[in-house]
Amino acid sequence: MGEIVLSQVRKSFGGTSVIQGIDLRIEDGEFVVFVGPSGCGKSTLLRLIAGLEDTTSGTIAIDGHDATSLPPAKRGLAMVFQSYALYPHMSVRKNIAFPLRMAGISAEEQERKVQAAAKVLNLAPYLDRKPSQLSGGQRQRVAIGRAIVREPSAFLFDEPLSNLDAALRVSMRQEISELHQSLKTTMIYVTHDQVEAMTMADKIVVLNAGRIEQVGSPLELYKTPANLFVASFIGSPKMNLVEGPEAAKHGAHTLGVRPEHIDIVAEGPWSGTVGICEHLGSDTFLKVHVEGLGALTVRAGGEVDLVHGAPIRLAPQPDKLHRFDGAGEALAKALA
Amino acid sequence: MAREISTGRKAVITTVAWAVALLIFFPILWTVLTSFKTEGEAVNSHPAFLFFDWTLENYHAVNERSDYLAHFWNSVVISLGSTLAGLIIAVPAAWAMAFVPGKHTKDLLMWMLSTKMLPAVGVLVPLYLLARDTGLLDTRTGLVIVLTMVNLPIIVWMLYTYFKEIPAEILEAARMDGATLSSEILYVLTPMAVPGIASTLLLNVILAWNESFWTLNLSAANAAPLTAFIASYSSPEGLFYAKLSAASTMAIAPILILGWFSQKQLVRGLTFGAVK
Amino acid sequence: MATQASRTAGRLMLSPAVILLLLWMIVPLGMTIYFSFLRFNLLMPGTEAFTGFENYSYFFTDPAFWPALVNTLVLVTGVLAITVGGGIALAVLLDQPMWGQGLVRVLVIAPFFVMPSVSALVWKNMLMNPVNGLFAALARGLGLPPIDFFADIPLASIIVIVAWQWLPFATLILFTAMQSLDREQMEAAEMDGAGPLWRFVHLTLPHLTRAMTVVVLIQTIFLLSVFAEILVTTNGGPGTASTTLTFLVYMQSMLQFDVGLGSAGGIVAVLLANIVAIFLMRMIGKNLEA
Repeated sequence: MGEIVLSQVRKSFGGTSVIQGIDLRIEDGEFVVFVGPSGCGKSTLLRLIAGLEDTTSGTIAIDGHDATSLPPAKRGLAMVFQSYALYPHMSVRKNIAFPLRMAGISAEEQERKVQAAAKVLNLAPYLDRKPSQLSGGQRQRVAIGRAIVREPSAFLFDEPLSNLDAALRVSMRQEISELHQSLKTTMIYVTHDQVEAMTMADKIVVLNAGRIEQVGSPLELYKTPANLFVASFIGSPKMNLVEGPEAAKHGAHTLGVRPEHIDIVAEGPWSGTVGICEHLGSDTFLKVHVEGLGALTVRAGGEVDLVHGAPIRLAPQPDKLHRFDGAGEALAKALA
Repeated sequence: MAREISTGRKAVITTVAWAVALLIFFPILWTVLTSFKTEGEAVNSHPAFLFFDWTLENYHAVNERSDYLAHFWNSVVISLGSTLAGLIIAVPAAWAMAFVPGKHTKDLLMWMLSTKMLPAVGVLVPLYLLARDTGLLDTRTGLVIVLTMVNLPIIVWMLYTYFKEIPAEILEAARMDGATLSSEILYVLTPMAVPGIASTLLLNVILAWNESFWTLNLSAANAAPLTAFIASYSSPEGLFYAKLSAASTMAIAPILILGWFSQKQLVRGLTFGAVK
Repeated sequence: MATQASRTAGRLMLSPAVILLLLWMIVPLGMTIYFSFLRFNLLMPGTEAFTGFENYSYFFTDPAFWPALVNTLVLVTGVLAITVGGGIALAVLLDQPMWGQGLVRVLVIAPFFVMPSVSALVWKNMLMNPVNGLFAALARGLGLPPIDFFADIPLASIIVIVAWQWLPFATLILFTAMQSLDREQMEAAEMDGAGPLWRFVHLTLPHLTRAMTVVVLIQTIFLLSVFAEILVTTNGGPGTASTTLTFLVYMQSMLQFDVGLGSAGGIVAVLLANIVAIFLMRMIGKNLEA
């Protein structure tokens, strides 16, 4: 079981309010990602759930029981930290066994569980090493192993991949996703990287300035962002945002169109010149200076080859336009 | 990064550096050498550097004077005692300031330091009178208490800087792993802090061993550690250079050895982190 | 960044140290201030009486006061000049590549670990003694008259001894600061054609400024309290030639048993030290925020 319900959770440090009244329901077995820019309160929210910080007001219920004032050890949660937080003076085996030792589990049982976790995480050959003798990815796996053996009702991850290099990040991302598939335990994962959020989550919670901007599946957020903040935060490269007469033409204050929803055409409404042309192989990203609109990013096929200054005509896919009002809230989709 | 330099230049630098270093070290070297001379040889108007009849008689003579050993023992008790007492008070305080800092932690640290800036002579009279009236004058207990308080700010400060280097996340991890406060301190913090605690202990034993204002003013025949005992040699009558050298060598040797191990900590401990 | 429970634990663990230090500071200092306004001599018990600022005016008009103040300043500045100057030279020297650098460093640092009474005795008897000392033997070897250091130049002799003790400290700190010198900046300057002297004056010295200030401030605090070296070598004499403020207060309170006068002198010393301490604390405090 691992159902977590936050109601009206608030947190302030001194006079500054960091979390401003959050209501959120996390279902058992769900992979939930908290995403947002730095300082949005996502890590604080995770630490509140963990019990490492007191809530200023509101309640946190875990599996139907009020856990708001329980110390971290009593909440039945496990956490993987950004710095891995391994115990440097203990071997890998002792690190993984530490929570079991704290729970007073017998030595044989400890060893059995450590072996099982090591097998799942490919750590068996390293059990007698110290954390300092491991690579970044291996340390990360030890931290996960330490979390697994507790058989927690939910796992908490605090930006666990941000200290890894790009290639390792991709493979660890997949390992964590696979782990979720096999354990089917609730996972709450904090990141500032929207790619991690999009690829891993069942449900994404977008946070900004201590508030929830939107909750939904990755595709929901991508297709129907609730406001400008979510629209520009989710998706890579960023959505193009256009104000002025062109937006007004569509009955909006701001018009949003994703780079992948702009076609290069022979005859189109927007004309401009190519600024820079980035070849990724599979795709080509063009920065196009469009008359009356400014610079737009356009995703084109990998084979497209245009030189700086080349004239070009563009057409947005009309059913993929996003319209926002003056307050940044999304308006109903434009009709085709 | 280090670059190759010519061997010739390196040889010149090496020679100069060794000459300067030996010059600075010379008084100590001379004392050690003299301690192996006979009294006659020690005051020879044409002093020999290495070629004299080496003898251990001075060390025998010093050791046979039971009072020397008693004062040596006083030094050990006072320096170790005050350092251990200081650590017992300072470890929890430094833990609190490093891991549960509040709004006033910084002010508190600065205030603790400020007590160290108070010149000893400013509180000489009351402490002397207090020690006299409580019967702690010329007792090891009295000196342990005074030196504990004298060095407490340095101990707190050093431990604080070491504890600060332990990431709070590791302690939080322990909390998440189900550790209580006492197991967190026992199984996680203490093992990680052992090097820092050991360095603090080392430096403070050295400082306490050499402390010369309070030991000279608050002790006499009974509790005098080596600082005070050796100072009593200064009277002109009955001065034996070779025996004085032997006594001095024995007084400084243990601390010299400890000191060489704690060079790095010395900077940290005595500059309060202002130089890194 | 923590829960209420851990904050409470923190406060509990902090309190013994805070309470003890508070007592340690307030009680004796309060007593000193109180005594400084009393006529209070241990040889004449029962004659204690409030005298206002009389002790202070006695202290300032004591014929030994001005020499003591001057001697204190001369001692502090003399030692500072030697240790900072020598420390920079040694730090630069130690920073060069050489064989046996570790051992050289160990030799240079050694004097700091010698207890003050031992170093004073060794210098007084075995090196500076006009009859049996090594310096006298050297002078005779060169056909010069030996110098009676503690009779003729007592303060200078004490400065030499104290400087010998503190040179390692200055060297160690300046050397540590040298280690954090930006080598790339040095190499960039070299590429731009800057000579070694220019680099020393414009790059090394400014980099060491902070460490030099720390050395000056910390040493000043300790040098104001130099005691054993004077007690062992000259006992403040001849006359008042090597009496410092600390030593004067010691003589008044521990030898003449004039508690009131000694206390007034103690308070003057506290005020003097505070001026230095304020600058030092500011520097340390700034570092704490970083």
